[in-house]
Amino acid sequence: MIDLIRDLSPGLATLLTNPQFAFIQLMNSISQGMNLFIIAAGLSLIFGVLKVINFAHGVFYMFGAYVMYSVSQEFGAPFWLGALAAAGALGLIALLIERTLFRQIYEAEHLMQLLLTFAIVLIMGDVAKIIWGTDQYSVSYPASMSGATDLGVTFYPTYRLMLCLIGPVILILLYWFAERTRWGRMTRAATQDREMLAALGVNVPVIYTSVFVIGSMLAGFGGALASPFSSPVPGMDATLIVDCFVIVIVGGLGSLWGSFVGALLYGLVFNFGSVIFPNAQDIFAFMLLLIVLLIRPWGLFGKPEAGGH
Amino acid sequence: MTAPLTAFGKVACLVILLALLALPVIGSDYLIDIGTEMLIFALFALSLNLIIGYSGNVSFGHAAYFAIGGYVNAILLTTYGWPLLPAFVTGVLAATLTAAVVAYFCTRLTDIYFAMLTLAFSMLVWAIAFKWRSVTHGDDGFVGVTVPALLDDRMRFYYFTVIIVVASIAVLWVITHSAFGRSLVAVRENLGRAGFIGIHTRRMRWQAFVVAGFFAGVAGALFGMLIKGMYVESAFWTQSAQVLIMTLLGGIYSFFGPIIGAAVLFMLERLTNEYTEYWPTVLGVILLVILLFLPDGLVGLGKRLTAKAKGKDKTEGAT
Amino acid sequence: MKRIIFSAVASTALLAASGVSAQEIRVGALYPTSGGGAIYGGPAMEGHNMAVEEINAAGGINGRMLVTVARDTKLNPATAASAAKEMITKDKVDVIIGGLSSAVGLAVSEVARQEGVIYIATIPKTIQLTTTKLHPYVFRTASHTDFEGDAMAQLVKQSGGTKVCDIQPDYAYGHDLAAGLKAGLARHAPEVKVVADLRPKLGATDYNVFITQIMGAGCDVVTSGLWGSNFVNFAQQASPFGLFNQIKAYISGGEVASHEIAGKMGDDYPPNVISNTYELWYDHSVPGHQEFQEKVAARSGTKETAMWPVLAYIGVQFYAEAVRKSGGTNSDANVKALEGMTLMTPVGERTINPADHQANTGQFWGPMVKREGFAYKVMHPVTYIPAEIK
Repeated sequence: MIDLIRDLSPGLATLLTNPQFAFIQLMNSISQGMNLFIIAAGLSLIFGVLKVINFAHGVFYMFGAYVMYSVSQEFGAPFWLGALAAAGALGLIALLIERTLFRQIYEAEHLMQLLLTFAIVLIMGDVAKIIWGTDQYSVSYPASMSGATDLGVTFYPTYRLMLCLIGPVILILLYWFAERTRWGRMTRAATQDREMLAALGVNVPVIYTSVFVIGSMLAGFGGALASPFSSPVPGMDATLIVDCFVIVIVGGLGSLWGSFVGALLYGLVFNFGSVIFPNAQDIFAFMLLLIVLLIRPWGLFGKPEAGGH
Repeated sequence: MTAPLTAFGKVACLVILLALLALPVIGSDYLIDIGTEMLIFALFALSLNLIIGYSGNVSFGHAAYFAIGGYVNAILLTTYGWPLLPAFVTGVLAATLTAAVVAYFCTRLTDIYFAMLTLAFSMLVWAIAFKWRSVTHGDDGFVGVTVPALLDDRMRFYYFTVIIVVASIAVLWVITHSAFGRSLVAVRENLGRAGFIGIHTRRMRWQAFVVAGFFAGVAGALFGMLIKGMYVESAFWTQSAQVLIMTLLGGIYSFFGPIIGAAVLFMLERLTNEYTEYWPTVLGVILLVILLFLPDGLVGLGKRLTAKAKGKDKTEGAT
Repeated sequence: MKRIIFSAVASTALLAASGVSAQEIRVGALYPTSGGGAIYGGPAMEGHNMAVEEINAAGGINGRMLVTVARDTKLNPATAASAAKEMITKDKVDVIIGGLSSAVGLAVSEVARQEGVIYIATIPKTIQLTTTKLHPYVFRTASHTDFEGDAMAQLVKQSGGTKVCDIQPDYAYGHDLAAGLKAGLARHAPEVKVVADLRPKLGATDYNVFITQIMGAGCDVVTSGLWGSNFVNFAQQASPFGLFNQIKAYISGGEVASHEIAGKMGDDYPPNVISNTYELWYDHSVPGHQEFQEKVAARSGTKETAMWPVLAYIGVQFYAEAVRKSGGTNSDANVKALEGMTLMTPVGERTINPADHQANTGQFWGPMVKREGFAYKVMHPVTYIPAEIK
């Protein structure tokens, strides 16, 4: 039996016969998924409240990685300070963009908003080129996390383990914010009926701004965390943004848990898929998206569109 | 949009047609090349607008049908040595059939979900073009398309393109101005209400998508013969985004909007690329200006300007 | 709106009609200068401009000045093909020099064939350019995947490894290099077995799934063509697993020994890497290199310089020499002049084979080690492996 499987897919045979290998692939899936979750959560949050599909999210991620490089490698600041600086910088950029540009088009059609974010992609890509040039950079792991940790079953890179932990931490933080704070209740109300909220005297624009800033900070933070294993280079945003789209659509637009599960699924499908069918890695993500959309068009955790639309 | 051509519009169309026919006589090789490519993209953008402007869905994967038309035609011409007519027709049919299947699934959805499903399908097409090296030559590109001797000449290929594109535009005009076109607009304006008055909305959207796929296939087949090659980038989502921008730039609520958008964006990309490596910024700024100040596209701006000049608001169709 | 179209057409018509002096030699340069390709296209453009300025400062060629017409290929072959056509029909270039990816190289070469204008490929390595897709007007000054794969096979033999894991980016270059390597192994080391063939997609960000498969495959040598940021990402992800310490050698094409990678990675550059580069700023074994390198350094404002400028520089050098020899810009005359031409470049003597229009461009290969006086790993010893397949 196992010989037959080996003929069809050597990778699958290894997975079945070598539990240690299977375990490592599971860890690969989770750590990759968690890094993507941090970024995708921001995208999903922004969509949930502002109803804008933010194409510029990928560029924000790229800026996060670049800021991380400048702060940690050029100024020699500690790793975590770099990550915070990246999140902070993106928060500021987002504040500026929201106040000057986004605010003008909340009433416009989705299409126009999409195009606006596309314009930001074009411009910020050039801005990055002006600031950081066209070199490819490399960011070091934090000293304490450059090696591997013994998990009993196997050794696994410490930094990736940290990603596995930080993902759930961000999930819980966001969940707590959304469910337990006044801000969270306001944002949820804003997703449902902003006119009513405004009539009740709530400053809706401030809520919008804060959501956009926090979502973008997550992109910057995610970019900073990715920078040690995904070197900051021009164009690094192009593939990432599509991956994030897949994740948030699979999970359900605007759903926090959705992006968490979507990111995990993405990691699992990518890693196990690459082992089992090594020639088809380019299409796993899109197959996942297709299958989910065909069965449950509004995503795993999303709600069906209202009014038959 | 549904109004017939005004007298002014008729004259304008005639003038443009004459200009197109005369271009090779007065123009250089360069103008012929650029005219051909511009016409192809105009048709591509116009076909997309059947989905966006008329049935109200945003397709984010329209490049798929462009690429299928281009690849199938190129491969049949070159690898299998087919004559032009069957190769071209088969290419376009392949694009149409794929669009029919994809549309069957996509039209169950609307809005952002529709957009994402079209994107997913187009990326599958891209992956197939990339992976199926023995047939498509993968990302090396399908280079060196055999163009039939009859068309293997700048000027003749230009006239061939003019004929095909103008005929396609005429057909699209008839379609959008038929009862079908008007029902489509009703579908766009209000899905629910269109359903009430007995329009089978999903079938209508499906039909619009299939027709759009057909003409994208035509544009793709022409494009492959023009640059004598097909490349996987033509199926990538960035190509879909480019044609989407063309359509929006011109204005989706006007028949001729996408044509103008395609021509303007095409020239802008060419000209800015000539003067600066920072052409993305130039493009981005132009987009911003349009979005913030001209939300209904170039055609909308034109209408407002003429309306202001004439003091009345009746220039429909006279783009 | 019609006015917009017409004015656009009219303005281009004016541009097209604007005077192109017969005295100028118009050189088309095609490199990606935006997006992901800008890392290579930007510095290459510098090398191109440097060559042109040097020639002009010395009085041009037979008194005629060189003028560069540059376009961004955006790394998109369809864009590159259109741009190449435009350069020929509108800007009336006499030659096109450049290209980066295989697809762009092939697309531009096709235009050159149709229009009868010389195209000198300075960076694309796909073997097809000088074999199945060869035509009279295409020349290549870059190396190609058969030379590179052959050199890698020689190094595998030297390393004493017997089981090889091959990891190549899943696109044209990776496939071609894998084929070149296998052919080379059959020649130099038939006893060596390739035990794993892995093909991560180009631009992948997560290599863990491939790294762990290599770790489990029990190979003693890893061969690769992961280049640029692909290599940086792979190395950064493989180091915590201890992959580089577990193998005899990581033998890599794709110029990951170039300074722009080693310099930026610093201490993170992994051990046991043997790789190649076209040029090293600190290796002056070729006469005239030091002078060249200092000029590049002066232009870029840094002592340590990248490898890309020299590639574009050589392309211009060859064309200029052809014009000098033929006495004009006639394409057919210059094809004759280029065939068999030998030239001293900053990285050694190069001859274009008249049969396949390929320059005998070998590369510098060697282990990357820590040395005194350098804050990053450098190649030592530097060995030039010539471009020949025996």
